Amino acid sequence: MLSMGDERIVLKTKDLSKRYPSLKRKDMFAVKDLSIEINKGEVFGFLGRNGAGKTTTIKMICGLLIPTSGGIWINGIEWKNPYSRRSLGYLPEQPYFYEYLTPKETVKFYCQLKGMNKRECEREWGRLSEMLDLKDISDIRIRNFSKGMRQKIGFAIALVGNPELLVLDEPMSGLDPIGRKHIRELIISLKNSGKTIFFSSHVLSDVEQLCDRVGVLTRGRLVAEGSIKEVLHQEIRSVDVVLRYLEEWLINEFSASAQLVHRWEDYVCFKFDSSEIANLMVKKALENSAKLVEFVPQKESLEEFFVRMQITEEEESKRGKLYYSKLEE
Amino acid sequence: MGRIFAVAVNTYRESIRDKVLYVLLFFAIVVIIGSKAIGWISIGQDIKIVKDLSLASISVFGALISIFVGTNLVYKEIDKRTIYTIISQPMPRYQFVIGKYLGLCLLITLMVTIMSLISGGYIAILGGEVNYWYFVACFLLLIKLFLVNALALLFSTLSSPILGAIMVFCFYIFGHATGIFLDLPPHIKDTPVEPILKALYYILPNFSNFDIRAEVVNGVSISMWYVVYVFVYGILYSALFVYLGVLMFENKDV
Repeated sequence: MLSMGDERIVLKTKDLSKRYPSLKRKDMFAVKDLSIEINKGEVFGFLGRNGAGKTTTIKMICGLLIPTSGGIWINGIEWKNPYSRRSLGYLPEQPYFYEYLTPKETVKFYCQLKGMNKRECEREWGRLSEMLDLKDISDIRIRNFSKGMRQKIGFAIALVGNPELLVLDEPMSGLDPIGRKHIRELIISLKNSGKTIFFSSHVLSDVEQLCDRVGVLTRGRLVAEGSIKEVLHQEIRSVDVVLRYLEEWLINEFSASAQLVHRWEDYVCFKFDSSEIANLMVKKALENSAKLVEFVPQKESLEEFFVRMQITEEEESKRGKLYYSKLEE
Repeated sequence: MGRIFAVAVNTYRESIRDKVLYVLLFFAIVVIIGSKAIGWISIGQDIKIVKDLSLASISVFGALISIFVGTNLVYKEIDKRTIYTIISQPMPRYQFVIGKYLGLCLLITLMVTIMSLISGGYIAILGGEVNYWYFVACFLLLIKLFLVNALALLFSTLSSPILGAIMVFCFYIFGHATGIFLDLPPHIKDTPVEPILKALYYILPNFSNFDIRAEVVNGVSISMWYVVYVFVYGILYSALFVYLGVLMFENKDV
């Protein structure tokens, strides 16, 4: 057992890399020198485009892939010890089940794999069926279930043994809005119960709502890490202003220093590049009997952040500075 | 041990749903029942032929079940991704592999038991004598199938089911004819091929050791020590192949 020297850290990776050898091309790094620390009770969002290395990282954490180099520690126990995963619950992207089993049989099977005896399995089923509302479907074979119900069973499996750390790979993937709402509420309740949650997602609004910290992966490398405020550009990028009863000459004047976005009935919407100009113009409009309907400062969203990261990547690539992905032979 | 048992029971429950199993079992029973037809053309030997074909049928169809179900064992878990939530559990990988193997052995035991009872009952209905040694022969065939299971499991961790099935089938065929590796034709003797073939003779399991069909059919006595020797031989070889399967799976990306 290796001690990390800090009991607050539930999950730690150090210089974690996964390389796929190739005979035809140069070896590919799916993940390169990834070092992260997830603290107790934290919700950590793992972000990145398709193929960035999120699932590869998650699979290494869960013992499915063998790291090429570097290490993973769960509660201070190194990944090579399978019992390091005693405090880990894993929900794969699109969880797969033994279709011929019922939810009750499935949960009991995973209880046995966690090392529980018959009585403990029964008690665990009672706890999870209560928590995830599975009692009504306990004896129906999983093959008959919808995507949302399957996700619930996936959560039940992840929560068997009440693990401290939950690793969720795209938990909202493929769900309808109601299903997403349920899962979001479940993650919030798990967070409130003190669980540490590490999850990857493409649904940026969910990440913004749920995560204390995020890490952004690009071509296998961690390019940004911190709170959402730290990762995103927090200065005001533009201001959207909606005014009513604005006179025609003022509309013409505003159009010179702002973008006229939309005009309908006696409303007009402008986008100002700076909040100072927006303030001045709104003051002038109010002095001329206009009414302020909306004044919305715009900051960078995670979506815009991704677009910015993509542009940076493409520029780096064009300049021949593709410093990652390919291992120099 | 509880984890191995859980995986074994689940493997059994999964395999028992495989349609291939029932098709092969059906054909095995058809051959056992149909063996009477061949018995008719051999005057006075019909019971012997029914016994002979019944034991051959258990051996061949049992091996086919082992190969087709066994080579899919680990591969199917990876392909269907059910393995993700299993390997992520706090259990060493060897427990998963051994659990899969024992589950398959449980299945093959059921299949051999069904075929043995049906064939034994059929012989009795035809007026033949079904003694203790008939079931000893069936038991040794079961041990042979445990060995085929272990080979199928090993290849299931290494390759696709089709390639695995071909490899196990080759092992099965050569394993029944290891004698030819020693009894070489003159033009091969003293060539570089000879030591290779001799090495193969000692490495490959000798499947014909498990076959006491001729003795049982003709009422020739067999030493109990021979049965014990073959049992131990089969278990040790099976353990070796399961161990190799564990080694292969230990560092496999899934």
